[in-house]
Amino acid sequence: MLPPRMKKAITDNPKKLANLIDLVNLPLPLREFVGQSQISRLGCFMRVWSYIKDNNLQDPNNKNVVNCDEKLRSILLGRRQVELAELPALVKLHFPKESK
Amino acid sequence: MGKVPGSLRSAVSTALIKRPSSLVPSESPTQRPRFFPKKSPSSQLSGKTSQSKNTNSSETTKSPILFTSPDLSDAKKLFKSIVATARAPLSPRFHNSLLQSYAAISTVDDSISLLRHMIKTEPSFSPDRSTYHILLAQSCKASDSTLASTHQALNLMVTSGFNPDKVTTDIAVRSLCLSGRIDHAVELVKELSLKHSVPDTYTYNFLIKHLCKFRALSAVYNFIDEMRSSFDTKPDLVTYTILIDNVCNSKNLREATRLVDVLAEEGFKPDCFVYNTIMKGYCMLSRGSEALEVYKKMKESGVEPDLVTYNTLIFGLSKSGRVKEARKYLNIMTEMGHFPDAVTYTSLMNGLCREGDALGALALLEEMEARGCSPNSCTYNTLLHGLCKSKLLDKGIELYGVMKEGGMKLDTACYATFVRALCRDGRIAEAYEVFDYAIESKSLTTVAAYSTLESTLKWLNKAREQGKAV
Repeated sequence: MLPPRMKKAITDNPKKLANLIDLVNLPLPLREFVGQSQISRLGCFMRVWSYIKDNNLQDPNNKNVVNCDEKLRSILLGRRQVELAELPALVKLHFPKESK
Repeated sequence: MGKVPGSLRSAVSTALIKRPSSLVPSESPTQRPRFFPKKSPSSQLSGKTSQSKNTNSSETTKSPILFTSPDLSDAKKLFKSIVATARAPLSPRFHNSLLQSYAAISTVDDSISLLRHMIKTEPSFSPDRSTYHILLAQSCKASDSTLASTHQALNLMVTSGFNPDKVTTDIAVRSLCLSGRIDHAVELVKELSLKHSVPDTYTYNFLIKHLCKFRALSAVYNFIDEMRSSFDTKPDLVTYTILIDNVCNSKNLREATRLVDVLAEEGFKPDCFVYNTIMKGYCMLSRGSEALEVYKKMKESGVEPDLVTYNTLIFGLSKSGRVKEARKYLNIMTEMGHFPDAVTYTSLMNGLCREGDALGALALLEEMEARGCSPNSCTYNTLLHGLCKSKLLDKGIELYGVMKEGGMKLDTACYATFVRALCRDGRIAEAYEVFDYAIESKSLTTVAAYSTLESTLKWLNKAREQGKAV
């Protein structure tokens, strides 16, 4: 079902996909946030993004900015505000390369 | 329901009757596609036999699965109770549908045992050809590593006095191919040709098509040569069309040209399909002049171009950057009495967008709708892609709104371009929304959608650091 280019990307570099969808044992703060002990990087991102949507955390004046609440702050380096553009990179910080 | 008494209904087919009668129409379409390739020949056959056997129509509609357990003794018990409660003798057709429904859930050996049991307990029932075809199809659908069970079914058929015919071959080949056992299909065709009958052109071409899809070209040629030398089965025009299509798809135009020559040598006159296929080959390589050449040749040899020809030509010319000519052919095809469809217009729009004239493409959308031709999701994707590329983001967002309203899917390239354009314009939140829509509408997998978003944002952040973008 995958488009050819995607398929090629996967066959060229299976590790890249693996590090996106493999389950990883989570560090403690993240464990509390997602409520389970293992999650993939993709799953974690989806969790954070839907948490932002569900709690209306996007700044009403500038939708590109997220005003973090207590819970979100605990996993995003303790920052009050993050930009949506940084979100994937911030989530990635919890998934260091040489995990496993 | 003349022959099936009320007592039977409650006794046997609880699973069948308990549910409302609306189940029957709702279940038959789900069952049909699964059985389609095998059923079409066998139903043809049973159509022939039914004329002489006067079957009751209510029985044929009663094919939904009666058997719920693959266990043989359960099946025997069920069969016994059906026979015991039936007042009139059951027709062979009814037995066949029973066997069919059991075969859907059991093993080949069990099905054969059930058939033996049926013959033994019900002397009036004599299995016909389609009875054995049920077993044959079942054996071919199983994912075995050898043809042993298929041979078993065939032997049973032969010993019962039915020599395998062309329909038998067809059923076996299609079932084998559809379960991915193409080498077995080839083996069986050769064997059946040797012992019984050669495949008809439909079976032959079906197999060729499958071979083309999954095997190397040399294997296909080997098979054709072998069939020709051993059984005098020659490829026909359709076979050549399949072959030409296949080599064109793998961009092997030299081989295609050779095949066209062979075609002429064999005494076939190329028809519209052959020409269309060749033209498609050229178009895929963006060789507009050659495509035009084919069109002219078609005209010369008196083959009337059809809608597909024009669509292919317009697609090819647009692709090779000759939009003006493509537009000319749009007019020509209308004059010839063909109605340009969504494909025609989308190809043209694609051409315009490639030239950077996305506004022209948008105007064409208007023209198309004015002429009563409704655009499809491919049209919108092409346009959205073009608008983003020409930095007409606002128009693109408007168009995306229409797509979203219509629940249309985004294609991969269009999604990536759109997300990138939004991010470049600093509309990250909107890009996230598109990301959500892509997943929600099942346009892309989450992985694909996320990978694109992530890499786009990474690129954006890098550009920002270097002070390039907004």
